[in-house]
Amino acid sequence: MHLDYRLNEDRETDWSSVTEEDLRYRVALGNLVFHVGDKDFSADWGWIPLVDLAASFAEIVRKLEGGSASETFEFTESDSWVRFERKGEKVLVSTSYGDGVGEIALHAASEAVKSFRERLRSELLRQHPQAAHNAAVRKLLGAV
Amino acid sequence: MSLRLLTALFLAFGLLLTADLSVAQSAGYSQVQTGADQIVLTRWALQHIMARHWPDSTATGAGKFQAGITEASLRDMINEAVHNGRARHNTHGRPGTIYEYDFQRQIGTTIDGGPATRLRVVVSNRNEVITAFPF
Repeated sequence: MHLDYRLNEDRETDWSSVTEEDLRYRVALGNLVFHVGDKDFSADWGWIPLVDLAASFAEIVRKLEGGSASETFEFTESDSWVRFERKGEKVLVSTSYGDGVGEIALHAASEAVKSFRERLRSELLRQHPQAAHNAAVRKLLGAV
Repeated sequence: MSLRLLTALFLAFGLLLTADLSVAQSAGYSQVQTGADQIVLTRWALQHIMARHWPDSTATGAGKFQAGITEASLRDMINEAVHNGRARHNTHGRPGTIYEYDFQRQIGTTIDGGPATRLRVVVSNRNEVITAFPF
């Protein structure tokens, strides 16, 4: 599973005061790069709130690890979705906007999501050091 | 946008819309009153919706409202969706509530360009509209 992002340039946001709602819907926007096996579920819409996606995917993996059979991520500005279905130690991934079903081991999905979240946090803090002291950033991306 | 259209849009802020639902403007906020609930459509939220979902928006992967939509008609649709639509908690830790309502007529286009008859409205815990789009 290859999970990555392309972050839009943003020189306007005051990262010391962004709220959780901002992070869920309005800032740190960009594209999703998402391959599962030979399936490409990338979304290059440019408006995807990446902090929200990182936090949501992390919660989805936690729920799957906790025994949930299926979890669905809903994009914020459309009815598009990504569905994760647990089958034993595997996870089947499908989307509303891409063809086919990808398969990945649950532990690999967990590692990919963790890595995604850490890389995004590192890049945001490098670009916006004041974000390190923001409670909403710390809540959604983890403490530094 | 023409001066006449701008004038009409500003005037529309102060109009009572129906017997049950009303919109008023104060300090950049328009309040959508739905019985006991009061949903606020801020200028920020309106700009957010226009940037992604207005007919002339170039945003990809997002539903678009039908040509001819105005701020007033958007507010009408939000009223109707919040008042009559199906409500559910926002997902995966996102704050707020999602309302979905099928207008049984085309209100816009889906991300694939097909006809969209439904509206999704996301409302914060402060009763402010976060986003709204056809699907």
